[in-house]
Amino acid sequence: MKTNISFLTQLQILTKRLVLRVVRRPLAELPNIFISAFFLFVYDGALGGVFGGSAQGTPFDFANGNFVNFILPVSIVSASVSGGASGIYLVEDIESGVFKRYQSMPISKWAIILAPMIVGAMRVLLQAGLIMVIGKIIGADPAVGTIGYFIVLSIAFLWGMGFAGYSVAAGVRSGSSQGAQAASFLFFPALFLAPTFVPREALRGWLATASAYNPTTYVIEAMRAIMVEGWINDMIFKGFIAAGSFAALTLTFAVLSARKATEKA
Amino acid sequence: MLAVDVKNIKKTFKTKQDTVEAVKDVSFEVKKGEIFGLLGPNGAGKSTTILMLTTLLQITGGQAKILDLDVTKDDKLVREKIGVALQDTGIDNLLTGRELFFTTARLWGFSKKDSETRTNELLELVGLTEAADRRVKTYSGGMKRRLDLGLSLVNSPEVLFLDEPTTGLDPGSRRVLWDEIKRLRDSGVTIILTTQYLEEADELADRIAIIDEGLVVAEGTSDELKASIGGDVITLSFNSEKEVTLAKELFPESLQEKNELRITVEDGASKIPSYINELTENKIDVSSVTASKPTLDDVFLNVTGYRLEGTAEEVSQSSSDKKEN
Repeated sequence: MKTNISFLTQLQILTKRLVLRVVRRPLAELPNIFISAFFLFVYDGALGGVFGGSAQGTPFDFANGNFVNFILPVSIVSASVSGGASGIYLVEDIESGVFKRYQSMPISKWAIILAPMIVGAMRVLLQAGLIMVIGKIIGADPAVGTIGYFIVLSIAFLWGMGFAGYSVAAGVRSGSSQGAQAASFLFFPALFLAPTFVPREALRGWLATASAYNPTTYVIEAMRAIMVEGWINDMIFKGFIAAGSFAALTLTFAVLSARKATEKA
Repeated sequence: MLAVDVKNIKKTFKTKQDTVEAVKDVSFEVKKGEIFGLLGPNGAGKSTTILMLTTLLQITGGQAKILDLDVTKDDKLVREKIGVALQDTGIDNLLTGRELFFTTARLWGFSKKDSETRTNELLELVGLTEAADRRVKTYSGGMKRRLDLGLSLVNSPEVLFLDEPTTGLDPGSRRVLWDEIKRLRDSGVTIILTTQYLEEADELADRIAIIDEGLVVAEGTSDELKASIGGDVITLSFNSEKEVTLAKELFPESLQEKNELRITVEDGASKIPSYINELTENKIDVSSVTASKPTLDDVFLNVTGYRLEGTAEEVSQSSSDKKEN
């Protein structure tokens, strides 16, 4: 029989199936959410006393008196990274033979590849949203107003898609769950070779140099501009460019990897 | 028009270290509405042949057509006409049987309403209606195989490929699946199945191709293959290796397997006394003698030189020798 459904419908059906898988394994998903929220509390508890309200009028007053505003982007970026680890879905399908079943049907292979990326991005949105709610409860207050949350969410979405693409590519190339998980090591340099706890001006030596080449820096700085300083357009623009470029780059990488994986041997 | 027409297909895998010829030369034809069995041991090239015919592997050489469509050039059209249940069942364990049927039906282009109808039809067909709303991870091996078979039928395929559909199943579940496969054949579906079970090939397949080391070494109906042996099979059993070796010297045309000799002759029952006499004259004790019509097991042994089930020990006579007989 002939399939008469569009690419988008195929994508929607495949995405819905993956969402069901995610929902049915809550224990596999919850730690990511809790860890990011946990770090928000820990950072605020450990550093908020030094760099928060009591730092006003001192050289350490880079948070404008609200350290939650300053540190919230770090939690969101960290959630974006873990939330984007969607390559595992594809690898699970390869390992279980589901991927091959789909290949034996006249459906778009791109739909098969894109579905886990979309689910990854949806996880990022959910996790970032939850962290913002928690941030709001403990005192976050964007300098640009409530709209700031949505802008931060947009950057997080792009950043998460970037990691989703990377994760899918790593999963497809390694063909194993372990390979996909091992590839998440990128998370650490991405997050910590950046102005994670202090502004970039306070970084020294090699770390200052490394952070200048790390796109995470510009993503965090854009979010911080929105949360702490206000409409600093060039910083916000750089953040979108960094997150967007990263997403475009890794999606290309994922597509090329997927093309190789779905080529007939 | 043939349902499947395979001409001299080959599959070569190249690695950095070497080149592996998984399928060297396989040809066969399958008529519409037939069950065609590819019988062979693990590694014979059965699954690779199926993967090529279902468009999942590129054919290295030769040509294959499904319903007159070229498997290489018209791969998308071929996929629209076939159903595939591979050896490693591609089933999402976290979903329920109903969800899997519904999702697959939607991907095949059924509307939501039609997908529900098709889901119920297929659940009933494969006997999973009661378990429909349970997650697949709770299903038994037999239920998963039936689910897999059902999923390969969503698009009402004209040609169905089943790769070792009953491997690992208990005899009861195997029988249930056989009945379903026969029912599908009776409804007009052409079925190509691979198996390593002689009994399964004998029971299900209208015609059989025996594959060994990437080559088709025999082909025909079960009766034709058995008849090709040319007579009855006399089996002489001995108590010791020494006796069987001595007896083998007396009957060099026989095939030896462990402490048994098998001799294929016309009208076997009437020849038994002469064999017994010859053994007695040479002071060789025989523990039992039987004469029977050849089985597929005998055919397999005859064309490949070893048995399919149990130990794959080479018999004393090389397979090439036997092919000449």
